[in-house]
Amino acid sequence: MELNIFVQHFINALSLGSLYGLVAVGYTMVYGILRLINFAHGDIFMLGAYFVYFATIVYKLPWAVGVVLAIIGTTVCGLLVDRIAYKPLREAPRISALISAIGVSFFIENFAVVVFTGMPRPVVQPPILMQPIEFSNGVRLIPLGILVPVVAFILVGALLWLLYRTKPGLAMRAISFDIETTRMMGVSVNKIIALAFGLGSALAAVAGIMWALRYPRVEPFMGMTPGIKAFIAAVFGGIGSVPGAMIGGLLLGFVEIMSVAFFPTLSGYKDAFAFLLLILILLFRPTGLLGEKLEDKI
Amino acid sequence: MEMLKIKNLNVNYGAIHAVRDVSLTIERGEIVTLIGANGAGKSSVIRSIMGLVKARADEMIFTSPRDDKSVSILGKPAETHVKLGISLSPEGRRILPQLTVEENLNLGAYIRDDSDGIAEDLEYVYSLFPRLKERRKQKGSTLSGGEQQMLAVGRALMSRPDLLMLDEPSLGLAPILVDEVFGIIREINAQGRTILLVEQNAFAALKVAHKAYVLEVGAVSLSGTGAELLNNPKVRAAYLGG
Amino acid sequence: MRRVRSLTLSVFSIILFAVFLNKAPELLNGYWQRILNLIAINAILALSLNLIYGITGMFSLGHAGFMAIGAYVSALLVLSPAQKNAMWILEDIYPWLLNVNAPFIISLILAGLAAAFFGLLVALPVLRLGGDYLGIATLGFAEIIRILITNTARLTNGSLGLKGIPAYTTLFMSWSCLGIVLLCTVCMLRSNFGGVLRAVRDDEVAAKMMGINTFKVKVLAFTLGCFGGGLGGALMGNLITTIDPRMFMITQTYNILMIIVVGGLGSVTGSIIGSFLVTTMLECLRFVENPITVFNINIPGIPGMRMVIFSLLLIVVIIFRREGIMGMREFSWDIFFPKPKHKKVKEESETVLELENVKLRFGGLSAVENLSLKIKRLEIVGLIGPNGAGKTSAFNVISGFYKPTSGTIKFLGKSIGGLRPDEVCRAGMSRTFQNIRLFGHETVLQNVMIGSRVRQKYQWWQSLMPFIFTDVIREDSTAKAQAMNLLEQLGLDEFAEEQASSLPYGAQRRLEIARALATRPKFLLLDEPAAGMNPQESEELMKFIRRLRDEFNLTILLIEHDMKVVMNVCDYIHVLDQGVHIAQGTPDEIRKNPRVIEAYLGAGASEGSAA
Repeated sequence: MELNIFVQHFINALSLGSLYGLVAVGYTMVYGILRLINFAHGDIFMLGAYFVYFATIVYKLPWAVGVVLAIIGTTVCGLLVDRIAYKPLREAPRISALISAIGVSFFIENFAVVVFTGMPRPVVQPPILMQPIEFSNGVRLIPLGILVPVVAFILVGALLWLLYRTKPGLAMRAISFDIETTRMMGVSVNKIIALAFGLGSALAAVAGIMWALRYPRVEPFMGMTPGIKAFIAAVFGGIGSVPGAMIGGLLLGFVEIMSVAFFPTLSGYKDAFAFLLLILILLFRPTGLLGEKLEDKI
Repeated sequence: MEMLKIKNLNVNYGAIHAVRDVSLTIERGEIVTLIGANGAGKSSVIRSIMGLVKARADEMIFTSPRDDKSVSILGKPAETHVKLGISLSPEGRRILPQLTVEENLNLGAYIRDDSDGIAEDLEYVYSLFPRLKERRKQKGSTLSGGEQQMLAVGRALMSRPDLLMLDEPSLGLAPILVDEVFGIIREINAQGRTILLVEQNAFAALKVAHKAYVLEVGAVSLSGTGAELLNNPKVRAAYLGG
Repeated sequence: MRRVRSLTLSVFSIILFAVFLNKAPELLNGYWQRILNLIAINAILALSLNLIYGITGMFSLGHAGFMAIGAYVSALLVLSPAQKNAMWILEDIYPWLLNVNAPFIISLILAGLAAAFFGLLVALPVLRLGGDYLGIATLGFAEIIRILITNTARLTNGSLGLKGIPAYTTLFMSWSCLGIVLLCTVCMLRSNFGGVLRAVRDDEVAAKMMGINTFKVKVLAFTLGCFGGGLGGALMGNLITTIDPRMFMITQTYNILMIIVVGGLGSVTGSIIGSFLVTTMLECLRFVENPITVFNINIPGIPGMRMVIFSLLLIVVIIFRREGIMGMREFSWDIFFPKPKHKKVKEESETVLELENVKLRFGGLSAVENLSLKIKRLEIVGLIGPNGAGKTSAFNVISGFYKPTSGTIKFLGKSIGGLRPDEVCRAGMSRTFQNIRLFGHETVLQNVMIGSRVRQKYQWWQSLMPFIFTDVIREDSTAKAQAMNLLEQLGLDEFAEEQASSLPYGAQRRLEIARALATRPKFLLLDEPAAGMNPQESEELMKFIRRLRDEFNLTILLIEHDMKVVMNVCDYIHVLDQGVHIAQGTPDEIRKNPRVIEAYLGAGASEGSAA
């Protein structure tokens, strides 16, 4: 394979993987704390994309402003979802919260159809992000391809800093192991859970925005498949682990892009690889790459 | 001066009536111990004082030595208790296994914002338990049972509590460590903290306690000073059957 | 009397409904006929997923995949060669497939079998996972199936899908299928095998101790559920007449999941009612998406509004009535009649168990260190020690939940170290648990009957058709009589029809023992039988334990913290402390043993002052 093509694939895999990773982080934080698969997370991601579309393309705000507004709007939506649909069910059996999550997911998707219509809308990319840069060895890259992984890595880095260097982060990690003990230490558990939802939604918003730029369009169901794949990425990495989610996302991105790059005839099966890999990992290392083993108590 | 006063505390778990009409008072500066065989309801009492289990009581009043104000703590969430100056080192230590020793300790100081004070208390805990200092960067799960116990006690001290509650601090420790733990309990008490100690190891607990209550199947069957109960044959009967 | 009344009413309403269905083609337009068909199909799908998730407790998100298999198998069989020839445009159809043809009914059965076969393939590896991981893995399989269908164009016509499938799914077909599925499901769930399924859901650990190979049972239930999924998918394809891979996305599984949750997880009638409600609502809400004219004002249809309203309703239901409409209960005619008032009435000395140098370690931690003991026939032996002494670990090793790290365990002369709990149970040992592990949603009688499943001879599949295999009815009624007998002996007969979890605490303990006795053990392990009992209750317990030995010829080993109980009831006592066997002897010897006193009251206690 030519160097130029390989680099293209590599950058593609890196950006797709880091987008999965960003979304996966939100799944993993919520699951780590509440043991809830937040099926609505992919739709939160979609909202981020729509918000930025409306802010910049419909209302012609500058990109910087639009991005900030979209992140804020999405975060608020994420917090509302937790407050309305999950918080009343904290003590309920887990299936209740799960069904509620499915309900929320349906709601957001179809609400988007009602408000934004079901038609896919094209996103006009800022030209500066699309101007190819040519290197001396013939490799050509567009800035967007580099921007996506860079932003993703910076954000996950910032999240790790928050988790490992600040007090709310400490509380969040503690809660995922033992809610009661953490409560004993004077931590207000509900606030920390809301923080996890907020952070997860903000990261999903950023991912949604970058996704909209990369595949330049938005539509109400755009969050479904990336959402499920990001969840799989979170399981790969070991659900509950933030670095694991990022690694899982990258792994998934590389598997998808590279399998098609090297075996173009199998391109139809690219999603199957992801799921097959998932099942293999679950069978041989049920708690993912970086996950902790949980033991049943008799 | 009373610090904690409980009248007719009752705890139910589903069909089990685990605590029946327990009343107790704790004076400032005392070590009070709650002893009894396994399953007597000791942990349920201490956990309901911390606000971790639903309990009924005629009253449960805490008087903070900081401002001499008396408040009812019944039915309040655990955060309120920590802010008022109560802390608990729970049964089974409940160390957060994936956090380092120092992170566990910092979590204990979660409600505090005075970083100088926290640093000071961290040094204090390390001076009480030098072994924790050696292992400050290690994960909680790598500690031995005795070290985890020290960490649990240290973590409970980090909120600078006026009332420190210890649930079975000697459980599963080698005899030499048991002596060490009780020595430290005395030391902490000598520095002015009130202590409520739940113990299965009755002999050691009675030796350090000013006052003791014996629980049998959820109810107080005996109470008195530590020295009185130490010589009371009924205590042994409560454990080994009469 | 009550049974006759219920039966009459059921038969009557079924006949009424059959007459209605017979007339439906004349009475109803195509739209309503289609809704009625969908209700029946959704009910089949819901019943089958309910069997997997609601009844047996396996969280599966793969139903859409099994539906897809069923729909394609049936469609490929009923399409005519001419149709197939015309439809495969992009790639040629496999020649062998072109002429394969089968009548509709046969295609339905094959569709179910194909889905069940794939279900079995999936179940064998994946059911070892638990909880959410199982859900994700099954979701993955469903997606893989869908992707395979998309990509094997010569077989399935790929993403173009299949069109012009003959509309064989008539009201008669769909409702007869539902009738058969319903009949089989109800028969199975009413038999003792159905009890076993629910027992696995309520408490897998306890089910193992009843001698049940829980993995096998789960694989069975999963495969059966997949059969229903395939059947439903096939009917769906022949109703809608077009299928393509996009029909079977995860959303399809969500729909079925919603039906069973709205109806009530684990309730058969709930699934039927749920599919009535959800299907009708989904269809009726279509009006919000069509333009309407009110007082000459044209309100344009709002696409998407239907699902918005629907999902809002769903969230409201789950928040305010999370157990669904039926909960776990079933519909019964009795709710229309006043309830009749319940009358509330008040061998020689051979060695049974021998442990030799048994060690159990977890990682570096030693839970049991070199435990050796012998228990003779008809002895009541106590195993005591302070918290964390390793008593429950020892029980878990003896009953097969843990493999000993080293050492031998002999039971009735045979080595049982390393056997699974269900095998240990079959060998004649039974146990209770520290924190009572009843099958909480079952009645008291059902709990005990599950214990007798080990001794029943009929096969699971016979329970689908008890009217043919009358062994099922005969054996179940024997089991019931024996269970009733046992309940009488233990004074629990007045509670026979109550839900186990609703019993008073002391009675729950006794029920757990009754259930253990139903496996006909020779040796019984009791883990803290007196925990949580007040003094009078423990007094009664002591008498009860002695009676057990005398009436059931049992040898008993018990863990207990209530020393009054231990000292009074045990012939012999072993003491553990931090995994080490520190003492053994008669109660009097133990009470005076300085090492024991030290273990309980602390170092120095034995020297006098606390004594």
